[in-house]
Amino acid sequence: MTTSEEITCEIRTQARELLASGRVSCVIGYEMGFRGRARPAFIHDADDVERLIWGPDCVHNLTVYLHDFKKPRKRGEEPPCVAVVVKPCDSRAVNVLLAEQQIERERVFVIGVACEGVHDETGEPAARCARCDDRLPVVYDVLLGKPPEVSPAGDDYADLTRIEEMEPAERLAFWLREFDRCIRCYACRQVCPGCYCTTCMFERDDGLWVDIGIEVPQKHMFHLGRALHLAGRCMECNECERVCPMGLPLSLLNRHLTREVETLFGYRAGQEAALSPLLFELGEEGSPI
Amino acid sequence: MRFTTLNELRAWLDRLAQEHDLIAPRDVDGHVLYRPVASDDEILFDYERPELSAKDYLLPSTEILLRVEKRGSEVTLEEALPDRRQVLFGIRPCDAHGLVVLDALFLEQDPPDLYYRHHRERTTLVGLACPQMWEGCFCTSMGGAPDDPTHLDVLLKPVDGGYAVEPVTGKGMALLEGLALEEREGKPLPVVADAELVPVTPPEKWRALFEDQMWMRHGERCLSCRICAYVCPTCRCFDVTDRVVEERAGVTRIECIRVWDACTSTNYRRVAGGHNPRPTKPERLRNRFYCKFCYYPEDFGPLGCVGCGRCIVSCPVGIDITEVLHDVAERSGG
Repeated sequence: MTTSEEITCEIRTQARELLASGRVSCVIGYEMGFRGRARPAFIHDADDVERLIWGPDCVHNLTVYLHDFKKPRKRGEEPPCVAVVVKPCDSRAVNVLLAEQQIERERVFVIGVACEGVHDETGEPAARCARCDDRLPVVYDVLLGKPPEVSPAGDDYADLTRIEEMEPAERLAFWLREFDRCIRCYACRQVCPGCYCTTCMFERDDGLWVDIGIEVPQKHMFHLGRALHLAGRCMECNECERVCPMGLPLSLLNRHLTREVETLFGYRAGQEAALSPLLFELGEEGSPI
Repeated sequence: MRFTTLNELRAWLDRLAQEHDLIAPRDVDGHVLYRPVASDDEILFDYERPELSAKDYLLPSTEILLRVEKRGSEVTLEEALPDRRQVLFGIRPCDAHGLVVLDALFLEQDPPDLYYRHHRERTTLVGLACPQMWEGCFCTSMGGAPDDPTHLDVLLKPVDGGYAVEPVTGKGMALLEGLALEEREGKPLPVVADAELVPVTPPEKWRALFEDQMWMRHGERCLSCRICAYVCPTCRCFDVTDRVVEERAGVTRIECIRVWDACTSTNYRRVAGGHNPRPTKPERLRNRFYCKFCYYPEDFGPLGCVGCGRCIVSCPVGIDITEVLHDVAERSGG
């Protein structure tokens, strides 16, 4: 077990070296926000590394920002190299993005941090951490901290089982009631490392699938469509649920599909840098796949 | 002061709900929201700042502007203006202030926005003073106060045993007929509003900071979502589209709708041909703040912010409008 202060120190040391040597042009980590809560930080200069921190409120999955570094800063240049601080759940997104050829391994320096779980705004363990038993990142260039000695929890899917046991009409009513609160702010999509389509199918000018209305049918379609597009790709960082200003229990949709994929394919997104078999694998005749 | 008890207030609201669309703070699955209520039982009287502003009832998140029906070669158009009167009860003073900011664009320009005006004329605002300032609140920096009656038709303030009732406009006075009021000695104490004041830099000083590095620093972490604009009482951008709602032999029915939009979203500013003049997050976030503190006051009068603090508490990545205001003040010499 390593303290937050020790890890903060190590992150700063790493960042200073990476920036001073020119290995990366930016380190994406955490800093203390204006009101005393951690928030994403972008360090471009070795002199600024003291802004970086580590602590139990470093909830954000910073890999979503890797999409901002995919293009060259100037025409004719190579895309920039960048370092990113990841927790175990976040690190799975790195593998998903590598497999989907969104990032190049040599352009992303992964600062992995051993994790004993992070806290939500009330100081309670974050929802995702209560059901997570990953303590070490699955991909990293440097690993900071030692695996903490906390008993792995694992996901017992108790909340999901309650929904799945509902009669279809009851379950539909449950979801329509939830979708009714949605304000279609797209925060769930924008925070998701796996949602990077240039034009989201739910935001097409021609309204081919849904129009722009902020009403229950469009919101219903959006959330179910997004969940399906993440089937076998969602790495369970649960950022969508964390950022939702209306408290929609979006993890119930994603974890339902995660469990299906794991049962049918024995596959968990992002454990390795390999594409989800969901769209490519056909089973033998009579198999459930 | 004029005084009423909670029981009298409830009875009055229950009657109002029969004659009007009554919108009031309600517990919606653990979230405090302004929502239509059918009776006084559903209304919250002790609540913090509702999570969304009240603008949805004057500028609906989705509004049908026009219904179009095409039968063969014959086309009929129908304006979709519901003839309903609504009372917004329990609206916080900052949310009423937000509506006055919207008025500057939608009512006080020529021509006014007919849809907004239609809703506004049919709306009465019965405010309930905040007993304190909540997390993120900075209304006192934006010319408001937790118990500011200015933009309301009626202001209620919790006092011992009930509420002090202050009619502000004739419209409010008329609505109060039917509420049992008694005269009492004294007047309610002002609400303690001790939040630190946030410096607001005048519009003309913003111009020089357009290329400042601070916009990169704040904007890099922006997710390009729309939370800040959609929780905001004064953000008012919208998109308009036509949607086909029915198509069968010889008959096509189309609705022209207007829907909230947000300048932080990636394609907000994209024009024909695909060019996007604000392609990066820092440029878009900068526009959000320039709109509120430079363009809107210059073009329409009021500042585009009332200090409700919702964008601060709901931003998932810690972008803080008061931090931006401090930075701007510091860079422009206070």
